[in-house]
Amino acid sequence: MATTKVAIIASNGGLFDAYKVFNLATAAAASDAEVGIFFTFEGLNLIHKESHKNLPLPEGKEHFASGFKQANAPSIEELLTIAQELDVKMLACQMTMDVLKLEKDQFIDGIEVAGAASFIEYAKDASMTLTF
Amino acid sequence: MNITANEVLDAKGLSCPMPIVKTKKAISNLKAGEVIEVQATDQGSTADIKAWSESTGHQYIGTVEDGDVLKHYIRVASEAEKKDEIKHETVIDVTELRAKVDGKEAISILDVREPAEFAFGHIPGATNIPLGELQTSIDELNKQDELYVICRTGSRSDLAAQKLTEQGFKHVINVVPGMTEWEGPLNHDN
Repeated sequence: MATTKVAIIASNGGLFDAYKVFNLATAAAASDAEVGIFFTFEGLNLIHKESHKNLPLPEGKEHFASGFKQANAPSIEELLTIAQELDVKMLACQMTMDVLKLEKDQFIDGIEVAGAASFIEYAKDASMTLTF
Repeated sequence: MNITANEVLDAKGLSCPMPIVKTKKAISNLKAGEVIEVQATDQGSTADIKAWSESTGHQYIGTVEDGDVLKHYIRVASEAEKKDEIKHETVIDVTELRAKVDGKEAISILDVREPAEFAFGHIPGATNIPLGELQTSIDELNKQDELYVICRTGSRSDLAAQKLTEQGFKHVINVVPGMTEWEGPLNHDN
């Protein structure tokens, strides 16, 4: 069976964004797809050591916090661990890190720092590219 | 319906994508041919488990509702099965087999799928011996019989037909493609 290759761009840093990115990434990886995520601008929050544990809900949507609990949705920390266990490749955008003065050690272990060209190289033969 | 699974996975109370993530993990410890029962309460899991099976090449057998719990049955496929090489020479189309069954011809049908698949629907009168147990149960069969061997898509029954011919069975016919195209009467185990 030909391998499905999924390329994801995560460019927003809220809790909703994190669920969209990590639900699809882990579902794809669990279905034997090769998955790579490029985290850029606010998307870097999703893999920041501290920030990913406490991502904000959109303004005025704070009441959805209880909905996540009721649906027994896994936490972002859990989804991140699963994504790493399933070998999801995570790339942090070098240029954003330079602009925001962030260092690699401020991010979770196991990520790679890469430029736009690296992601383009990865995504050029992807079966699908998803942007969040 | 009483279905035996090699492994039961409890994914109750978990939301998407956890049922398939857990299934993926659990299945990596199982051997080809084994059946896993995935228990979930996520209503979307039926469609997801089906789609997941499609993507990974494993076989979605069916779902049983037990109160609020959905029990999904999946059979672990082998690499050889995904390749689909048919080698046994004597074959019959499933529609021709249907004509024999409808015409009440006295024929022997051997269904080599797993008991869980058999339970979800089989041709009336068929004998069930899963491919993996064929060697040890071969004495239950008559070597002189005209034996129609069937599975889901024709690949396991092909392997079974070859094995039976090697063991001296004279009239072994592989039914192609198999139960996926069977439109005749079905018996279910209760």
